[in-house]
Amino acid sequence: MCLRWFAVHSVRHPVLLSRARQQAACLAILFALTHPTHAATRPHYGGTLRVEMHEAIESPDPPQSGPGMADLAGAFAISRWEAGRRAVYTADEDAAGGRPFLDAVDIQMGRSLRDQAIDLELGRADLVELGPSEARKSPAGRQMWTTAPVRVMALVFGARVDDARVREALSLAVDRAAILNVLLQRQGEISGALLPQWLSGYAFLFAGAADIARARALAGSLPAASRTFTLGFEDPALRPVADRIALNARDAGLAISVTPQSAAADARLVEVRIASADPARALTAVAAALALPQPGRLDSPEALFEAERSLLEGFRVVPLFHLPEVYGAGQRVQGGPGVSPLGEWRFELLFLEGGRP
Amino acid sequence: MTFRTRLLLVFTVTVMISVGVVEWMVTSATRDAFERMDAQRDDALVAQFRKECDRRGREIARTVKGIAASDESLAIAIAPDYAPFYSQAGALASAHSLDLLELVAGDGTIVSSAEWPARFGYKEEWLAGAADWPARGAFLKREELPDGVTLALVAVGVVNAGDRQLFVVGGQQLDSEFLSTLVLPAGMHVLLYRNLETQFSPRELVDSGGSSTRAAELQPLIEQATAGGREITRTIGSGASSERFHAVPLKGNEDNLLGILLIGSSRRDLVELEASLRRNGILVASFGILVGILMSVWAAARITRPVQRLAESAGKVAAGEWATTVEIASRDEVGKLAEAFNRMTHELVEQRERLVQAERVAAWRELARRLAHELKNPLFPLQITVENMQRARERYPEQFEEVFREGTQTLLAELANLKQIIGRFSDFAKMPAPEMQPVDFNQLAADTTRLFEAQFTQARVAVKTELDPHLRPVAADPEQMTRVLRNLILNAIDAMPEGGTLTLRTIAAGAAVRIEVADTGQGLSPEECQRLFTPYYTTKTHGTGLGLAIVQSVISDHKGRISVESQPGRGTTFRIDLG
Repeated sequence: MCLRWFAVHSVRHPVLLSRARQQAACLAILFALTHPTHAATRPHYGGTLRVEMHEAIESPDPPQSGPGMADLAGAFAISRWEAGRRAVYTADEDAAGGRPFLDAVDIQMGRSLRDQAIDLELGRADLVELGPSEARKSPAGRQMWTTAPVRVMALVFGARVDDARVREALSLAVDRAAILNVLLQRQGEISGALLPQWLSGYAFLFAGAADIARARALAGSLPAASRTFTLGFEDPALRPVADRIALNARDAGLAISVTPQSAAADARLVEVRIASADPARALTAVAAALALPQPGRLDSPEALFEAERSLLEGFRVVPLFHLPEVYGAGQRVQGGPGVSPLGEWRFELLFLEGGRP
Repeated sequence: MTFRTRLLLVFTVTVMISVGVVEWMVTSATRDAFERMDAQRDDALVAQFRKECDRRGREIARTVKGIAASDESLAIAIAPDYAPFYSQAGALASAHSLDLLELVAGDGTIVSSAEWPARFGYKEEWLAGAADWPARGAFLKREELPDGVTLALVAVGVVNAGDRQLFVVGGQQLDSEFLSTLVLPAGMHVLLYRNLETQFSPRELVDSGGSSTRAAELQPLIEQATAGGREITRTIGSGASSERFHAVPLKGNEDNLLGILLIGSSRRDLVELEASLRRNGILVASFGILVGILMSVWAAARITRPVQRLAESAGKVAAGEWATTVEIASRDEVGKLAEAFNRMTHELVEQRERLVQAERVAAWRELARRLAHELKNPLFPLQITVENMQRARERYPEQFEEVFREGTQTLLAELANLKQIIGRFSDFAKMPAPEMQPVDFNQLAADTTRLFEAQFTQARVAVKTELDPHLRPVAADPEQMTRVLRNLILNAIDAMPEGGTLTLRTIAAGAAVRIEVADTGQGLSPEECQRLFTPYYTTKTHGTGLGLAIVQSVISDHKGRISVESQPGRGTTFRIDLG
């Protein structure tokens, strides 16, 4: 199916593939090998694809760039926009690549991962995002589409945590392996770098292993006041990770209280999506998203590595994991995967069982 | 205070003390009985509470055992990877209404924790010991939570799947919520002190409503129970708001003291009962005392009536009614006393009559002796003169005229002397009643002293007058009082044959007056002082012995009083009080 996706995509979008596209295509091939589909299925027209997502986009207009809804623009046209709640896209009869099989895509925003899983289970949704625990399950008839690790989960320290030793101590205290194995259900990879290994090729050079003894030593050299701070999280789904980080920090002698008030917290647990397959552009975008200084010259892998190392120096940002996006699709969704390895929505190839042949 | 009053007081005090003691004994005995009943009730309540705790413990143990026996637990136990189950404990705890639930692998690694989900992968070393956990039932345990430490009643279930083992550690926090779910008997409430810190911490004392505000008043009890490690009972507070607290140390799995359970039962009912008892006791005692006083009045009146009659009769006797007798109304001691009194007055009357007769005879004899003595002196010259005149007529007629003339002069002189003697006796016999008028005794004393100036000089007596200027006139007969002063001054002069000092002193005593006549003579013996005012008694070689008797008679007629103070060798002072 992935090969078919690659072929169709190349045909429907006859542009010269960039290096990033080539890399993504390679990933897609690998992805496809792990997700075999029924080759004899014939596409059908019609039907509405019901999609749920946990993000609630509050902008007055639908997003025009980035992964997700913006990817629908070539084949679908927005017909209804309720900021933060719902978006409906209808098939564009005059699409450059031809009319998509689906008549419409109805997107519900702001749905929790748990609710999405339930809706998928009950057939109230056709395509949902899956959390780590749901991703481990594979009920009969469910399709699961996984992207490359395109999200970086990181700790970002505010100005109040001004002692680099505190930041380093926490960086060393976090038991990334336990979090990945249990909380993230082995979905993703441990990393000490901003860009994932598949994108930069040098991520393994950034240490991500815990060293509790050194963390204790560092924390022990700190005044009591600076050993206490708050850790906020933007997404409620990150709460278990934040709690575990606080527990690890306690073992190192740091007193962290977890708070959902991310804006007011001394440190934040954040996720940043890598929207580009170009390492330089991705690094620039990630640095901007994390309020880091813009990197300088990025015209070579060495420069890229040096820029990233420079960004992470001082532990203002501590990368923890690179995580994939996992989607669950219902049994009637055919023609997938509808998500590219980079996480782009490719719904123009999807069709629903029971539609017009 | 009369005998009746005193007797009444004694009876009343006796009644009050007796009633008070009886009331106190009855109240104490009743209160002790109620206290014992209350203590038994408390013990029963504590036993009931313990049963409730045991029941809850068994319930927890049963729940944990049920979880351990479930297919879910078995599935976890045999799973090759525990990671998918890290949130399983939360769901199980919620489903089984447990506050705490941990699924722990056989090596002690936490698979899933409901109370602290982030603790997966950590070790529970205490489980590693080879203990028969299911047989142990529920026990207390100190549990660490993300937001602090708590006390929990936990039980351990074990899932055995071949060579793999899974521990299910579940329980409930011993907190306000736990306390609020306990079924407690009426009038009882429970507080829990969680001994989780090294020193007493007020915030660790909770009741069913949350943090207790009674930490300060319960701190000594908690500290005592913590230090001793054994159950103690104390009453906290006073009055109706007091409570009896039973402090039960709660020990953990390793016999460490983890908390103090404070089972309090209100003493309001008991205190109100005791107050009611006290009120009734006071009412009964008051009524008893009142009745006792009335009975005492009656008894005192009954007892003292004969004594009162005796006293009245004695008073009459003292007033001169010597023939007074009392009625003998009983044959007891009082009756015998009345009989003795009657006998005494009867004898007294007889003795008085005999004494009067004896005194009368003695007085007549004394009078006769005096008269004989006084009359004998003039009579002897009379006899000699008449015999001289007879002898001169017979033997010396030529000298008779001369003898007769001298003899008649002597006879007339002696007859005048006789007349004077008889006049003095006549004066004493016919003492006139005083004619009272205001008398300035300072003036009277000065005038009287002046009459004796020549005699003072002749007798070498110095006169000293100390007259009180504040003296006010006092009602008296000036003539008789002059006679009194003259008598006393003459006596003083006679008492100082070698000369001396006579002091005449007046002293104002309110409306009354005191007159003192003092000499520096040889003084009088006590016996002489005692008989000084007796008629016809004299210490002098001359005189009738009527002077001081007349003085006393005059003072007595003036409703006054005369006394004498003397010591041999130091002079004599006569003191007259008038007004």
